[in-house]
Amino acid sequence: MAIRVNPSFIDVLDRYGAEDVQLCYQCGDCSTVCPHADEVHKFPRKSMRQMQMGLEARIETTLEPWLCYYCGQCSEQCPRDADPGETMMSLRRWLISRYDVTGLAKHFFKSKTKELLWVGLIALLTGAFLVLYGVSNGNFGVYDGEGAFLPSDFIHSFDLTVGGIMGAFLLLHALRMWYFTMIKGVEYPVPWWLYFKEILEFPIHFFTQKRYAECDDKHREKVHMPWLVHLGLALGYVTMLILVMVFIVPLQSGPEIKWSVHIFGYLASIGLLVGTVYFIRNRFKKAYIQYKKSHSTDWIFVILLFFIVISGILQHIFHRTGLTEWANATYVIHLMVVVPWLLRMPFTKWAHIVYRPLAMYFAAIKKSAYERQQGRIDSLSVTIR
Amino acid sequence: MEKLRIGVYVCNCGTNIARVVDAEAVAGFALSLPNVVLAKTYRYMCSNPGQEMIARDIKENKLDRVVVAACSPNMHERTFRHALQMAGLNQYLLEMANIREQCSWVHKDRTEATKKAMALVQGAVLRVEKHEALESIDAHMCPNVLVIGGGIAGMTAALELADAGNKVHLVEKHSRLGGNIARVDLTAPYFYAARDLLTDRVTRTRNHEHIQVHLDSKVIGLSGYVGNFTANIAKTNGTPEKAGNPVAVEIGNVAICTGYKEFDASRVTHFGYGKLPNVITSFELEKMLKAGKVETREGKMPKYVAIIHCVGSRNHEFHAYCSRVCCMTALKYAHEIKSASPNSYVSDVYIDMHAFGKGHEDFYKRSSQAKTLFLMYDRENRPVIHKAGPKDDCEMLIEVHEKLSGEHIEIPADLVVLMVGMEAREDAKEIAHLANISQDKEGWFIESHPKLEPVATTTDGIFIAGTCVAPKDIPDTVAQARAAAARILARIAKGKIEVDAIYSEVNEDLCSGCRFCNDLCPFNAIEYVEDEKHSHVISALCKACGVCVAACPSSAIKGRHFTDEQVLAQIDGIFAEVAYDQAEPVS
Repeated sequence: MAIRVNPSFIDVLDRYGAEDVQLCYQCGDCSTVCPHADEVHKFPRKSMRQMQMGLEARIETTLEPWLCYYCGQCSEQCPRDADPGETMMSLRRWLISRYDVTGLAKHFFKSKTKELLWVGLIALLTGAFLVLYGVSNGNFGVYDGEGAFLPSDFIHSFDLTVGGIMGAFLLLHALRMWYFTMIKGVEYPVPWWLYFKEILEFPIHFFTQKRYAECDDKHREKVHMPWLVHLGLALGYVTMLILVMVFIVPLQSGPEIKWSVHIFGYLASIGLLVGTVYFIRNRFKKAYIQYKKSHSTDWIFVILLFFIVISGILQHIFHRTGLTEWANATYVIHLMVVVPWLLRMPFTKWAHIVYRPLAMYFAAIKKSAYERQQGRIDSLSVTIR
Repeated sequence: MEKLRIGVYVCNCGTNIARVVDAEAVAGFALSLPNVVLAKTYRYMCSNPGQEMIARDIKENKLDRVVVAACSPNMHERTFRHALQMAGLNQYLLEMANIREQCSWVHKDRTEATKKAMALVQGAVLRVEKHEALESIDAHMCPNVLVIGGGIAGMTAALELADAGNKVHLVEKHSRLGGNIARVDLTAPYFYAARDLLTDRVTRTRNHEHIQVHLDSKVIGLSGYVGNFTANIAKTNGTPEKAGNPVAVEIGNVAICTGYKEFDASRVTHFGYGKLPNVITSFELEKMLKAGKVETREGKMPKYVAIIHCVGSRNHEFHAYCSRVCCMTALKYAHEIKSASPNSYVSDVYIDMHAFGKGHEDFYKRSSQAKTLFLMYDRENRPVIHKAGPKDDCEMLIEVHEKLSGEHIEIPADLVVLMVGMEAREDAKEIAHLANISQDKEGWFIESHPKLEPVATTTDGIFIAGTCVAPKDIPDTVAQARAAAARILARIAKGKIEVDAIYSEVNEDLCSGCRFCNDLCPFNAIEYVEDEKHSHVISALCKACGVCVAACPSSAIKGRHFTDEQVLAQIDGIFAEVAYDQAEPVS
């Protein structure tokens, strides 16, 4: 059965940032230089070809874009300036919108105005809701405990609701990813027990991001800085998420510092702050090849995160120094940024924090299933012989 | 008769000869032969010192015959003839013994090879004794030129020749000048309008005081030889009565620029050309582009356009060769279609992208930038076009195995353009017969040498240029046309044509007038003199192949420089006993 070519797909991809994919003439230099490409995963070359030809049915079922961590060596090597690294990036954006059922991701990627309006709207709704709640139930001059403007048990429920919505979408998207890549995109049987056999892959890759560390370019730096910063950012993010979702009550109490809880908050803040500044600086300076092209969604992500970190730190300082009104005001502002940022996450690039380790997990399962199948074929041919 | 004084020169050719043949022994042996007064060896006889040595010896030792035992005469006979001329000796008093290609390169045994070299030298010595001093003759060179074909090549050659002040007869079988380029809109890769390339040339050709344009005409007869041809030009249109009598013109040289014809796309059944209304050829697209709109038969703007390369070219079923211009023309179409309707998508279905010329690779890249989708197919696995179903958003689907992705794909298309290749014209055979030149198995005219003589033919005075030789693009065609013109101008400038002294001669007393030789001569060099009832060799046309000499039942024909006496003496020499052991080596 012939697969239909879609020549107009190139115009769709353009909006996701793949501006140069049509220049590729399939020499394969990119796959040769890529530290992650192998005989099974022939990216970026193969992905470039599928994109040029608009083979959506092939692209949506592939894990390969998630196995690329964008070190940019392929783009440096490309003799035709087809920018394979950025093309893989665009492919991830396209996949995110493909996994998404709401259509929100598509709008974000295609129009920064729409995204900014959406972020603004959520922020205003959040702000209005919090202020109304605070005014009707508490006192602007109280930060915590009796009569507080935003009491911690209320914030806890609020956080859990927002986190729940985010988590639900993330889970839904991950399920769709699983359906596309593991059901539609597999040509050989995958026994259920392999999902248990390879289960460790997910936490290993989630907590170490070690695959990114393998994106080493020896000419550049001794320590692979992008990986280190990435790891700091990811771990900071997860720590902070756990703190606000589970430990918000002790976190908000004060003004004295509870080291047993706050030390984690400080470490996470450092990770987030360093990461954010690093990314903003590199994107601004176009320091490495992977930062040469910044999609509007990339900017919105880092800038919002920067505001979250700064407002969070300020709020913490104001609270601990007795400036309660200031602390409450920054708290509202902080949450006005946090809520749209969190709700935005399942629809944007930041969702790769889940997709990437998932892809490694799925790839390991696929590999085992494939080897099992090959083993069968081999033993079959032995019997025939 | 005075005793002859023969000098024998044995070349070592570095080690090419000396490694296998004992050159000193050969020279010593030569010295023992009658009439040989001098025998020498040298490292490289063809070098300047080698030639000078021979010339000096001729003068100092009063040599009157020279034998050079070295390489093939094809390689250096001219060189050594020149050495004889330097010393004032007639150049035909030389004989070469080929002891390299026919001896040292093909033998291993030193003794046997040396013996053979001695035999060859002995043959050469006996032959050279019979040589006669010959003089080459001069023939008249008529400065008028016949150019056949009024395309870009023909016009370019004609203008070049006429601008130098020579009378040119330009014969074009159609009613207008311009040839195939007149059917083209823009040219690749710089988008010059073909019309702009032509108009100036057509006007100049038609108005040139030295060019006589014969439209609707054909050359129906060509007789004579280089410098002295007569061509008969007849009108092709209308009935023979209307056409009038052919015109006979005197010319000295001929430039054949008859061009190509396009491949008939209906021969490839896979593409449904002639059956599917929106499958068109490249020339049909050119018509649309010239008219300024690209649309389907139904009058709609096509959303998906597919261009299929190598139609009729590069496969064993039709033509194995590459037609050279189609790749860049296809890229040109991609650009033109995209600019005519920006919302369309162009798929370029190719075998290999041949971007060989100046600016071509860059043009290819720009075509990629313009979002042309390039799809690669296998030359033995051609695409198949069929009508799309009612649910599809396109008219046709092209099914093909795509090589770079390894996928079996179908490509949507509303309009399919077939890049038809170039073919030799059917009437090229007539021209070849008329001008006595050869065609290859595809029908293209054959050059005298594919690399060193690209516009000359094996018939003196007949030149070929452009796409009647092989497929090529406009720059190459123009270059060849100018090259042919330059070759002809050089001959005209010389004013006469030097004819080699080696040709056949008919002894008119012995000739019975049987005319066997007339038909056998591959160069049409023998004419029959009706009044005197005997045959006559036109020396300027004769290539000295010797066919007539062998065929003549009355032994009335003599091959100059290849007389029976000379050849038999050489044979005697080769087969005579060689006193190998008695030869004193010379150093």
